[in-house]
Amino acid sequence: MIPQLVTVRYRRSDGRWLRLFVPVLPVLLVLSPLLLLAVLAGLVACRMFRVSPMGALRGVGRLLWALPGARFEIDDGQLAVLVSVR
Amino acid sequence: MNEQRRQILEMLAEGKITADEAERLIDAVERDQPVPPPGAALSPKTRPRYLRVVMDDNSDGGAGRINIRVPLQLLRAGVRLASLVPPQVLIRVNAELDKTGVPIDLTQLKPQHLDDLVEHLDELTVDLDQPDTKMRVYCE
Repeated sequence: MIPQLVTVRYRRSDGRWLRLFVPVLPVLLVLSPLLLLAVLAGLVACRMFRVSPMGALRGVGRLLWALPGARFEIDDGQLAVLVSVR
Repeated sequence: MNEQRRQILEMLAEGKITADEAERLIDAVERDQPVPPPGAALSPKTRPRYLRVVMDDNSDGGAGRINIRVPLQLLRAGVRLASLVPPQVLIRVNAELDKTGVPIDLTQLKPQHLDDLVEHLDELTVDLDQPDTKMRVYCE
């Protein structure tokens, strides 16, 4: 399952929290033209560096599929950032 | 250790059987044991899914905290992706590593070895304790 929701929480210096909920699929759909360009650029890079394009696609796909459940939380007292992938 | 093997070893310790007989008996016991189905967990407990890095830092008067949870599956995927790095790049990386005094030959690092490394991370626990800082790396 690819990630569905990325939650970003950011605590500013005044102590207020900024919360961002990013639904991955709609964002990917909106950015699909850019994504197409990125895939083409990736394929060209694969040809240049003699890397198997299918292997690279499979690797990136695996990476995406494995992302749900990842969580990064850093708090240094004044600032705090939390990124959670579901 | 299962009960039958323990009994055999006790008989050997008591001198009731010789070492050869004990070896034959242990072989026979191992043959009679059912083979675990493929994919079954090696240990009865559930396999860990996440690598956790937790650090609490109370130095400099402030309370800092790092809490990272990375799916082990993500590490495996990263390792497989890293195996796509072309050999000529690895040779250049090797040369740079050598210059900085880290003589590691990355071309000898096979995806299978890295897979094994990630596979055995579930037994990893690292605890670092200082008066004002605690760090823990473990799998859950």
